[in-house]
Order: sequence, then C-alpha cells, then structure tokens
Amino acid sequence: MEIYLYLALFSPLAGSLFAALFGASPRTKIAGIVPSFLLFVSFVSSTVLLTHILSGGDIVQVEMMTWMATGDLYIPFGFVVDQVSVTMMMVVTVVSTVVHIYSIGYMDHDKGFNRFFSYLSAFVFSMMVLVMSDNFAGLFIGWEGVGLCSWLLIGFWYHKESATWAANEAFIMNRIADLGMLIGIFLVYWNTGTLQYAEAFAAMGDLDTEILTWMGIFLFIGAMGKSAQFPLHTWLADAMEGPTPVSALIHAATMVTAGVYLVVRANPLYDLIPHVGLFIASLGAFVALFAASMALVNRDMKRIIAYSTLSQLGYMFVAAGLGAYWVALFHLMAHAFFKALLFLGAGNVMHAMHDELDPFKMGGLKKAMKWTFIMMTLASVALAGIYPFAGFFSKDLILEVAMIEHHYIIYSVLLFTAGLTAFYSFRLVALIFHGEERYKLFGVHPHEAYKFMLIAMSPLLILAIIAGSFKMTYFEMVTAVLPATEYHVHSAVTYWIMTIGTQVFVILAIAFAYKKYANSSVQVPDGTSVMENRFCYKVLSNQYYIPYFFEEYLVKPYRELSTVFWKQVDLKVVDATVDGIAKAIYGTGEKTRGMQSGNLSTMLKWMVAGTVALLSLAVVFGLAVRYSGEIKTILSGLGVQ
Amino acid sequence: MLDHILSILIFFPALAAMFGFMIQKDSIRAYGVAVATIEFVLSLWLWFAFDSNVSGMQFMEQLPLIPAFGINYILGVDGISLFIIILSAFFTMIGIASLTDTKNVKNMIVTLLFLQMTMVGVFAALDAIVFYIFWELSLVPMLYIIGAWGGPLRVYASVKFFLYTFAGSLVMLVGMLFMAYFYYQATGMWSFAILDWYRLILPETFQLWLFAAFFIGFAIKVPMFPFHTWLPYAHGQAPTIGSVILAAILLKMGTYAFIRFSLPMFPDASVFFMFPIAIIAIIMIIYTAMVAYAQEDVKQVVAYSSVSHMGVIIIGTFALNVEGISGSIFLMIAHGVVSGALFLLVGVIYDRRHTKMMSEFGGLAHVMPRYATIFGLMLMASVGMPLTINFVGEFLSLLGFYQQSHILTLLAGIAIVVGAIYMLAAYKKMFFGEVTNEKNSNLPDVNKRELLALIPLSIITIWLGVYPKPVLEPINNSVESIVQLMHDKSITQEAKSRIPNLVKGVEISRTTAGEAH
Amino acid sequence: MEIGLNHYLVLSTILFAIGLVGVMRRKNLLLLFFATEILLNSVNIAFAAISHYYGDLTGQMFAFFVIAIAASEVAVGLGLLIVWHKRHGKIDLDQMSTMKG
Repeated sequence: MEIYLYLALFSPLAGSLFAALFGASPRTKIAGIVPSFLLFVSFVSSTVLLTHILSGGDIVQVEMMTWMATGDLYIPFGFVVDQVSVTMMMVVTVVSTVVHIYSIGYMDHDKGFNRFFSYLSAFVFSMMVLVMSDNFAGLFIGWEGVGLCSWLLIGFWYHKESATWAANEAFIMNRIADLGMLIGIFLVYWNTGTLQYAEAFAAMGDLDTEILTWMGIFLFIGAMGKSAQFPLHTWLADAMEGPTPVSALIHAATMVTAGVYLVVRANPLYDLIPHVGLFIASLGAFVALFAASMALVNRDMKRIIAYSTLSQLGYMFVAAGLGAYWVALFHLMAHAFFKALLFLGAGNVMHAMHDELDPFKMGGLKKAMKWTFIMMTLASVALAGIYPFAGFFSKDLILEVAMIEHHYIIYSVLLFTAGLTAFYSFRLVALIFHGEERYKLFGVHPHEAYKFMLIAMSPLLILAIIAGSFKMTYFEMVTAVLPATEYHVHSAVTYWIMTIGTQVFVILAIAFAYKKYANSSVQVPDGTSVMENRFCYKVLSNQYYIPYFFEEYLVKPYRELSTVFWKQVDLKVVDATVDGIAKAIYGTGEKTRGMQSGNLSTMLKWMVAGTVALLSLAVVFGLAVRYSGEIKTILSGLGVQ
Repeated sequence: MLDHILSILIFFPALAAMFGFMIQKDSIRAYGVAVATIEFVLSLWLWFAFDSNVSGMQFMEQLPLIPAFGINYILGVDGISLFIIILSAFFTMIGIASLTDTKNVKNMIVTLLFLQMTMVGVFAALDAIVFYIFWELSLVPMLYIIGAWGGPLRVYASVKFFLYTFAGSLVMLVGMLFMAYFYYQATGMWSFAILDWYRLILPETFQLWLFAAFFIGFAIKVPMFPFHTWLPYAHGQAPTIGSVILAAILLKMGTYAFIRFSLPMFPDASVFFMFPIAIIAIIMIIYTAMVAYAQEDVKQVVAYSSVSHMGVIIIGTFALNVEGISGSIFLMIAHGVVSGALFLLVGVIYDRRHTKMMSEFGGLAHVMPRYATIFGLMLMASVGMPLTINFVGEFLSLLGFYQQSHILTLLAGIAIVVGAIYMLAAYKKMFFGEVTNEKNSNLPDVNKRELLALIPLSIITIWLGVYPKPVLEPINNSVESIVQLMHDKSITQEAKSRIPNLVKGVEISRTTAGEAH
Repeated sequence: MEIGLNHYLVLSTILFAIGLVGVMRRKNLLLLFFATEILLNSVNIAFAAISHYYGDLTGQMFAFFVIAIAASEVAVGLGLLIVWHKRHGKIDLDQMSTMKG
C-alpha cells in the first residue's frame, strides 16, 4: 500500500516540476497534459487507498526520512493514510484533477500557461502534504506551502496591480494566523514532548485545561487565517483576482478548508476543551451569517461565490466546534464538489463574457450556454440544500446538530443563513441566465466553453448530486477515528417539522430571488436607485467597511510608522547619537588644539601643571586611604552614607 | 596533512594572496578562482574527515607563542564552527568566480584572499588572543574593500564601520585580559586558551561584568540594536562582493562569539541577561523590519532585513537549550546563504541599471523571468518558508526560546509577519506590474557567470531545507556538550533551572574554582 | 645643630622650586638648560641624602645614573642648540613654534 501512498503524494510534485521545465518556453499543451495525467495517477492511487481503508484495512503509515532532529526534538517526514486523511485526499485529488483538465481549456490563450500548471500542481502537492502528514510540523509545511502557491496563483497575472496587491494581502494575513499556529505547535511540543499526532493527542489527556485551552486557541488562530474566518476574512474575497480555476480549487474546495481539517484532525484536543469548541461554533455561526449578508448585494460574480464559501466554512466550523467532526468533514467534502462546480461554471461565464464579472451586465445566458446553465443551477440547488442533493444531507445535518446540542441561537442563525444562501445563489443564477439579454448592450457574443471542459466538470456535477448517498458508508468509515455521535432528533415529529420547514423556507427564498431578478425589468444599477442609497445596502456593499478600516487604521499607520522609524528614529536618534559621540571626540580634539601652540615655554608650563595636578591627586588619595576610617565617621555624622 | 588542515586552511589563501601580486593582471581572475576552489575543496575535505559523533574539538593544533603568558596558537574545530568555515570558503569562491569587471581586479582578489584568512582564523581559533588578532585583522580588508570600491559615501561608511567595530572590540579585549587574570588568580597559571577558560567557575558578579565587556564587542559586530547603524552605511556603499561577504560571514562572527565565549564562560550572567537581551532582539526584529519596509533602496531593504534576522539568531542563542542554540547556529548558516544570495541578486540588477532605487524598477518579471524566479526563491527562503533553509533555523530558534518565555516568543514570532511584509512589498515594487521605465524594457536576463553563483546557492537553500540532517547533527552534538557544560558550571538556582540538564538523573557534584586545574 | 636629613630635603626642595620656576619663566634656551640641570641636581641631592639615611647605596647609584644621563642630555642638547643658533641667529624659545598642532 505504501507505494500508492507515495504515488498519491509525489505525482503532483512530479507534475509541477515537469511543467516548471517549460517555465521559460512558450505555451505548450504538454505542460498541461502531463501534470493533469499525473494528478489522475494521484487520484487513482488515492482511490486504491480508499478502497483499502473501506474494506477494513489497516491505516497506512510511513516514515520517509528525518527532517529535523536536535535535542529532544525529532521531526520526521511522516505520512499517514487513515480514514480522515483519505477522505481529504479524495476531495483534493478529485477536484484538482477536474480543475487541471478544465484549466487546459481555460488557460488556453494565456502566455503563462506552463507556469500556471507548475504552480497548480505544486499547490496540490502542498495540499497533499498538509492532509497526509502525521505530525504538526508536516502539517505546517503543507500549510505554508499552500500559502505560497496561493500567493503565486492569486498574483498569477502579476501585471495587474490589484492581483499582486491581493496576493500580498492574502500571504501576509495568513502569516499573521500562521504565527498563532506556530505558537500552538510550540505549546504542543513543550507540553507533550512530541509533534506526532498520535503521541501528542495521547499525552494531552494528562494536561491542565488551561494549557489545553491555549493550545486550542492558538491552533484555531492558525485555522482562522487559512479558512478566512472573521476578522482575517478580507483576503478571500480579494483573492478572486486570481484565475478562476484557482478560485475553484484553492479558494473554495481545498485550501480554505484546511482550517476545518485542522480542527477535525485535532479532535482529541478540542474534545477536552468544549468551551473553546463553543467559541469556534459561535464564530462559525457569526461568519456564516456575516458572509452571507455581504453576498446579498455584491455585484461581482466571483466575490458572491467567495462570500458563499466563507459562509459555508462558517457552517463547517459550527459542526466542528460542537464536536460533530464527521459532520464537518462531510460538509467539507460535499461543499468542495458543488462549490468547485459553481466556480468552474462562473469561469465559463467569464470566458464567454470576456472577463466581465458583474452579473447585472449579463442576463439571459441560458440560451447561449445551456450546459453551463444546467451545471450552475444544479450546483446552486445543492448549495441551497434541496433534497436530494448533496447540500441537503450535509448542511441540514449541521442544523440538526445545533438543535440537538441545544444551541438554539446558533440554530436559528444557521437556519436564517440557509435562507440567505438560497437567495443569493439564485439571485446570481437568475441574473446571469434569466431575464433580458442585457449583455447585448456591451457588444459581447457569448459562446459555450469547450466540450472537454464541460466533460471535465461532469464528475463534479454527479458528485454534487449524489454525494449525499455516501453518508452512511462515510459515517462508518470515519467514525473509526472520529467520535461516532449519531445525530438524530428524538421525536420524529420534530424531525419532520424541521426538515420540511427548512425546505419550504429555502424554496421560498429561491422563489423570491427568481421573482425579483429573473424578470425583464432588471436594469444595470447606476447608483441612483432607492435601494442602493439605503444605509444597510451601503454597509453591505462596502463589506461592513472592514477593508476600509484595515487600510486606514492598520496599513496606513504601519506604513507611516515605518517611515517615522527610519527617517526620525533610526537616522535622527540612533545614528545621530553614534555620530554625536564621534563628533564630541573630534570636537574635543579640535578645541584642545590650542594647547599645542608649539611654544616650548607654554608647553613646559602645561607639563608642570600636569605634574602638579597628578601629584596632588596622588597625595589626596593617599590621605583619603590613610584616614578613611575618620572620614567615614565624619560623613556618617553628617548623615551621608 | 590532516593534522594541520586548519593551519593550511588559514594560511593557504594568505600565501596565495602574496603570490597573487606577482601574477599577470589577465590571469589573476583564474588564479583567484583556482585558489578559492582549492580552499573550498580543502574545507569540504575537513567536513568529510570530521567525525560528527564527537562533540568536542577536532583537528586541534597547538604551538607556543608566548608561553609565559599562556598565549598559544591553538586551533580546533567543532560542529559549531565547522560549517561557518565551509561557508566562508564557499562564499569566497563564488564571490571571486562571479566578480564582475571592476577596476583594480588584482587588488580586489588579493584582498578577498586575505579576508578569507582572517575569517577562517576567527572561526578556528581556540586561543583568545589569536581569536582577537584575526577578529581585528578581518576589519582591514573589509575597510579597504568598502573604501576603495564603494559608492560616493565610501570613506565615511568605511571609517564608521572600522571605528565602530574597533571601539567595541577594544572593550572585548579588556574583558579577555581580565578573564586571563582571573584564570591566573584561580590557578596560578596564565592561559588564554578558551578551553581552559571553560573550566573556570567565576562568581556571579565577575561574570556579569565580563559578560558586559564581551557583549559590547559582540553586539556591535552582530549588529544588535541600537549599535546597528554602521551596517546600512557599510552595505549601502560597499560593492556587491563586499556586501555578500559582510552579510554572509562577517556578521556571523558576533553571534558565533556569543556561543563560543559568552554562554559557556558566563552561564549565570547569560541567564541574568537573557530577558534584557531577548527584548533587545525583539526590538531588532520588529523595528528594523519596519525600517526595512520604509526603504526606497532595495539593497537597504536586504541590509535591514539582515539585522532583523540576526535578532532571531540572538533569540535562539539565548534560549540556552539545545533546540534554540542549534537553531541559531543553523540560522547563521541559513542567513549566510540567503542574504548572500540576495545581495548577489541586488548586484545583478545594479550592474545592469546602476541604480538600486526600487522606484526605478517595476515589471521586471516580464523582462527577466529567470532573475525573478531566483529572487522569488530567495525571498521565500528569507521569509522562512518551510523546506527552505531559513525555516529550519527560525523554527528551532523560536521553538527553543518558547521554553524560556511564551510571551516574548510570541513577540519574536512577529518576525515571520513583518518579514513577509517588507520582502513582499519590495518584490512587488521591483518585479510586478507593467514595465513603466523604458530603460528596463530590454534588460538581459541573468548570464552564465551570475548563474554560476546563484544556482549553487539555490540548491543549498532547498537541499538543507529538506534535509538539514548532515549539518544539524554535528551542530547538535557540539551544542549538547556546551549546554551540559553550562548547566554543570552554573552557580545560581535560576541558571540551574533555566539551563536544561541533559544527563538525566545524574547531578554532577561540583567544588570550587580550585577544581579547574 | 647637626645637619640632618631634613635639611638636605629642604635644600633639595628649594633647589627644585628654583629649577621649576626657571623652566617655566626662562625664554633663553641656554638658561633653560641651566634650570633643568638645577632640577636634576636637586633630585640628586635628595637621592644621596636619603640613601645615606637608610644606609642603602641604591640611591647614590641612582644619582650617578642621573648625572650620566644629564651629561649626555646636555651634550646632545647643546649640540642641537648650536645648530639652531647657526641657522637662526638666536635661541629665543618663543620663536620655536614649528610644532604647533
């Protein structure tokens, strides 16, 4: 089995290096096909491993080689394929294979084609390291690696100021969170003496709750950065500057879910500290609502989907925080499929519309892009959680978890958010595909994407539809390592009321969205309508003024303080002091030059004066030593110590 | 030959430099490369012959100089100094190999070879006076390099560099003389041998004063805040090769000396000063990172970033445990490689455009993709990306210090954030965006001679990031013996508890200073 | 009244003071030499007296050294003085200021 593990892990790296060979040469198809094929190899190997685990096989664990060893610290490159990591591996390899093949078409005309595949495969490799490592240090390698690839890919079109800015923002914001993660790792090491998951978690049972709480908090700070939880969320929406396949793979399906994966992986820790778990769940519920509200009014197709991702990540954290780790992981998986599909559909639309992102400038595209329309609609249905699509099984389960755990506030927030989710998803679908063909005003001639791109997307479509049916198999598999709590509402009546109620609520939200946005009266907003001038619209469309706040109160002061430190402190205080000392010595020399008049007679006088001064000093000290006893008595008599 | 390999390593370049005066101007470059390559191969041989399981000194050589005062020519190498010696041989080699056309190229190569003698001498010396001689001698070639080949402010910069570091090391010399005197008092014999001094147990007050004296000399060399202001001038004015050697090797003398002198000789004082020094280091990290962010000149960004990274090295050193000290030594090597490479990269663009102002550039990724890639790799190494060389050192340094103080480690960890800020900002200004300046639109990409230097550095950066064991293991063994020595020597309760005891369960009994002989 | 150590010391001090005033006040180089000779000899008196007082010959030995040094100093000094006089025609101290810093 180990060979499959290595295959799954290293074929993306091989793909990346292969594409990198062509980094400097002009666009060549082979640089896209080979990495895609190698990813498919990785996918097949993951499938083999999955069947191995499903058929009750042992978990596969390897220790490749030592990485760092000093003192008591021993960190190997160790990898493990257990029920949790194999799930993640499947998600990562499926989505990334699809995205790779899709990108061959999507990046067709880009002159950075080869470079793109190199970065994209490198990302997959980092992600595999992240999910397969059997220790925190390996996790951190992957963690930073995906951050690096995310930086490279967001800033892929580096000639655009906004893209490079967004890339740097994402990297730096993640770095802030990574600091928390690093501290969390230090805490684990100094308290348990190891960074291996198994041993560290085993040792945690004997630790103080206080230490565990800090551990949980710091590790979660790391998760907050990668999963873009409030207040470190602004980078995710800006990250949409990257090519759309990147958004689908990194900023929807895989990297941003790394935070959830971390919490799930560290479940023995979070089980011991339910109060931190409750905090995670509350923050998750808040983010779910907060992000969904921003998606309501946004006029950028990709940003809407990004906020939706953020909102769904909130759902996952609710589940993970409440101890329903397997539910979180299940939603992670289902979400990865339909959200990646949604993004890839958006990519088709962007291509058709020549990189136009404002859905108000589209409309009626369903005729020109039939297949994309179907896929995006189904993905939205899945996202909204309609029976029997994937979202229904995973998202409604989270609502049930909140209910069963008696967190009614969280439950109602999530329920309300579910309505919002349905509304903004179908607002988007309605604006893009229904209503008047507003794009004609802009002289665009939309066309459907390449066939093979659509075919490449189809596995995601199928998974988005049927993923719910894996629920029981999946449950039996992962609960071998995760707490096996089954969430059933005790009374059947309550269950049906809840389920049907939610469904009705969601369907009403969809209907409302269609009614409002799928008709012919929709106009391209010009900033004059009543709604646009409402206070709450402005707050939402400016993302609660949080980016503004960051820019004004964090970035600018930092920049100004840096300049002050350089120009005022470093040059005018620190360096000036050094130069001042030098100048003082130099000045003393300059001043005392007068003594060296060259006149022998004057010099002789100075010499005599010096001798006398030295002699008198010697006499004074000699006397002082001889009469020290008496002097002390006199001084103490005077009250001097 | 192996018995005298250290002497050969020290004096071979010096001898070769003297012969260099006789070489024709046309062939001096080839001659320089040949000498430096031989030297590097010798240093690799040293590594090959080095037994990494031995924690103590190897290849010791001893020759009496002034026996009456215990001044002897003693050399030796352990895991701590081994790799810095190899690094200095390596950098001299690629420095000479990648030397661009300068005036007086003969003088430059001769100077570099002399400089190499002093660098290897500092790291191999085991006698305080010999150490001091090489320490001070190393200033002279650098003074000459900055003063003769530097920019417009070269005289000011070189004099400042010389006087500042020289003043600091005089205080250190006084400390050394006192230390020898104390040794004489305790044992009745004069000795300047560092290994003899290790065995001397001093009262805490003496330790504090001596520590302070040594500290001033080392801190200026490192350079620690607030003694760092000579560095931006020196880097700003020095030619590329000068900056590379200065950042890669000369700065490491200070941090190396902390580990060689301050920690094992004054364990109690080290514990006493641990928190003040850590706070200075944190100021170094954050303050200079912010200053780096404000710079307009890319070379100054790299120069200030050096100071910031040296802060992390200091933090690791004063973690006083195996993880931290090993990490800091590893980070010295890592920082040498990465900052050396960054200065070389800055030199590449300076050769083409004769300016270092970032506002002059922009969009270079279009014009010079290879250059942008290598710069990007070094940038990521500099911000401490895992699987690059810097991460191992930074991780271990911070991990080590976490045992001593949680909150200070958190503050020091801000290094990974602020480091990313100034580096990414600089990279964005230089490489991203459209090519706005006409002069940049036809710049040639890195040429073969430049790649000759940059490719090996890139390989080392990744190789030691993925597989640091060959370097980390010898370091670890030597550091363990130093930490154990510190634990055994320490007098105060505080120090005993702060410095871990590696010999589990066995408390070594200890008598007075008289035991030293 | 017996002549004791103190008398010699007082004499030595007085001579020293005279010599010192001479060194400080004289402008003529030749007279400056005289003054230094007085200084040196005052010290010689003190050496000899103290040596006799302690019965230790070291002091007297030292005095001989001083005499020898003084003689050689005068020899060199007078030589220089003559050269200077030949060049400049005078030996006024205030004129000699080529060492001005």
